[in-house]
Order: sequence, then C-alpha cells, then structure tokens
Amino acid sequence: MSKPIFEIVDELPKGGLTVSALHTLDFAIPGQWNNLVGFDNTIRAVTGETDESLIQQIGERAVALYNDKSQGYQRALWLYETVESGSGLLGTAALANRIGQDTFLGFLKNITPKPEKAQSIDLCVKLVTELVAFCQINGIPGDSIGDFLAALGDYSGESLMRMAALACFDGVIPLGPEFAGKALSAFDSTSPKELEGNQTYKSVQELIPGNGADAKKGFITQSFDSAKSWMTNFVSSNNITQQGLMGRLKGFIDFTDDKADYLGALLDMNVKYYRHTGVQTLARRLVERAVAEI
Amino acid sequence: MIATASAPRNVVLPLVLGLSLVMGACSEQAPSRYDQVQQETSQKGSTAVAKEAVNGSKFNRYFPKSGGGYSVVPAQEKKGFAEHKLNRGGKNVAVLSISDTISTPTAATKYQQSKKKVAGYPAVEQGSTITGVLVGDRFQVKAQSRDASFTPQDRTAWIQKFDLNGLSTLK
Repeated sequence: MSKPIFEIVDELPKGGLTVSALHTLDFAIPGQWNNLVGFDNTIRAVTGETDESLIQQIGERAVALYNDKSQGYQRALWLYETVESGSGLLGTAALANRIGQDTFLGFLKNITPKPEKAQSIDLCVKLVTELVAFCQINGIPGDSIGDFLAALGDYSGESLMRMAALACFDGVIPLGPEFAGKALSAFDSTSPKELEGNQTYKSVQELIPGNGADAKKGFITQSFDSAKSWMTNFVSSNNITQQGLMGRLKGFIDFTDDKADYLGALLDMNVKYYRHTGVQTLARRLVERAVAEI
Repeated sequence: MIATASAPRNVVLPLVLGLSLVMGACSEQAPSRYDQVQQETSQKGSTAVAKEAVNGSKFNRYFPKSGGGYSVVPAQEKKGFAEHKLNRGGKNVAVLSISDTISTPTAATKYQQSKKKVAGYPAVEQGSTITGVLVGDRFQVKAQSRDASFTPQDRTAWIQKFDLNGLSTLK
C-alpha cells in the first residue's frame, strides 16, 4: 500500500535545506510561495473554509481521489520524486552535519561536479517531467506541449517556484546565464545510447511520450525548445545571475568562491525541490477537485 | 560496549537497533481523522470515479465565457470533473466547476432538502464560499469564492451564466 496522501503532505518540512534554498528565490517571485505544509492546512488555505465537518468531507474525497490509481495523481508524485532521486549520492543529514564545520571543505572533495552534458540532460529531462506531471495532474493528454506552454504563462505559487528553481538551480548555477541554449545544444548532441545511460533519464523514461530513446529524445528536445524562451525571459527579466544566486545561497550554505563549481552538485544532491513543491501542487489540485465534487 | 562485545553480538546489535528504530517510527504515526477513508479507499479494486462518469472534456462547452473584465481559464479536466478559474485583473477571484455526481451520490442527496432554486434548479450554499446547483439530477455546478470581493450574489450570477439547460440534456 502506498503512503497516504495526508501523511505525505503532513510530513513536508517547514524548514531545512530545500525550504531555505527555495526562499532565496523569493526576490524573483515575491509573495508567490509561502511553503504551505500540512493536509488540513492546505484544505483551509485553498478553500478558505473553516468548518471542521466540511474540511473532513473535502479531505476524505481528496484521499479517495489520490488512492484511485487511474486518476494519475500517484503517477505524478512518482515522477516528481523519481526525477530527483537519480542524482543523490549522500543523504541530506551527512551534508547538514558538516555545514559550518571545518570538515565541510573536506566533504566537498568527495563530490565531483557533473560534466556539462550530464547537467544539460538533467535540466531537459526535469523540464519534460514537469510537462508530463502537469498533464497527469490536470487531465490533459500527455503530449500536449501547447497546453503546457499556455499554462506555464499562468503558473503561480509553488508551481512557479518549481520552475524558478529549475531555471536557477539546474540552469543558471551549473551552466551559467546562457544555460538554455547551452543545454539544448548539449542535449541535441547526445546520442540515444548516451541518453539511455543517464541516471535522471533512466529513472523517468517510461513515462516520457515516444517509442524508444530516439523518439523520446525528440519529444524532450521539442518540449525544451518550446519552454526555452519562458526560462530565458524569467532569468533576464529578474536580473538573475550566477554570482547573485551564489551570494544568496551563501546565507545558509558555507562555501568559498573557488568551490563554486561544486555548488550545483551540492544542490542537486540535497535540495529536493521537485518533490517538495510537487507534493504541494498535487495537494492543491486534489483539494480543488474534492471541494467541487462533494 | 560495542568494542568489548563478541563478534556475533557485533552483528546482532545493529540489527536489533535498526529494527527497534523501524518499529519506533511506525508506532509514532498518530491516528488521523482520515484513517478510515484511507483504509476503505486503498483496498484493491476500490475506485473513486465511476466508469460511467462523463469525461471532463465534454463539460467545457457549458462553462461561461470570458467577459466584463473577467477571464475564464480552463484549469482541470478529469473524468467526471472540469474546473475553470475566474480571474479579474490577473488575480484569481473564483473557481467554477462541473462534476458528475454518478461517482459521489451523497453530493446529489444534499439538494433534496433544498428549497432554494437558481435558474429553476435546486441550489445549496456550502460553507461560506461555495454555491452549488444540481442540474438534470446528476451534474453539480459550483461557483466558489477565492477572494472576499467575490460575493454570494456574484456566485449565483455566475452560475446562471453556465448553459445549465444544455448541460441538463447531457448523457
């Protein structure tokens, strides 16, 4: 039996590395993300209702909808969880213990920054994962790039935060300001065989539209190319730079500039923003549907 | 203690420790108000949406159109359910929805006691933000306020903008 949705939402952390890292992006999307955690809290915040018996009814319907596998919600959560789990080498606890200690720099020696190509594949695959999860949650056919793009312009709250973090943590930090173009050309030059060897791709490939690695690669390229201008605009209109982002992250992660290369790898391993905000999106949509159906 | 323990105990101790941690973690889970529904709906073969439910895409044509400073934006389209957001000045002020009560019969039952009608259909107020009507004894149309500026009167007015008569003929 899979874990109940109310427990998953109740167990979302109020603080920690993921939440702190996401809050460093508040400057770009002020007031959009308030880290809503807790199942009943989500029901109250989404509906504005306070009557306990009504909250109970909404919660019960949301639980039932989540548990019905044919509704796609469990698959969406699986996508958000899986796309991030491929790259983690060491647990968050291991890192947290070392932050601010002398051994932290020693710890960094054990991390190898990802090559640009692997980083590019990660970025492209993560974007497509968002598209597929979006379709699962909102009930739109799985290959609707057009619908996704239209919705992207209307993204808000935790969904907008997830996309902001994708552009910043998986784009600008590891690949620089020209990340979108760089990632696309690196991805383009990846052979289907290389793609099949990539951990992030491997973890979610079964749900990417297309028959075989070649077709899936085509779909990923097309999706990323379509969303490229949204990401580029987001970064340039908010004056987001690698230096600026690193300056903000220094507020809670201790690193020296000569170790900046490692920051991408560090974030990759320890900041699970896809799952965190993905659960928040999922909970919100479930509640919206539940309150309409009771 | 570990340093002085014999070799077999070195193997057993972590195992026992590990097991007790796992068991401790399980027993820590406080009972939830949703335990019963979790139990009932996570059984094999249990479904939340009836097979006969109308696909959400069929509901779209009955929603009101954008106008008067409001934009109606499609948001969700699942089996037996469709939701459109109502935005004004880029801000979400309400949510409009149609759902098929074939999956949720108790949702339809609440209209039986209602004396209120909107556009000739039985209507209810739920909580403080929701107005609903039942169309053709089957399809539930709701307007929910998401902003205090969107009043109960606004909800009733927007429900009347749906093509309710058209929806009542949907099978």
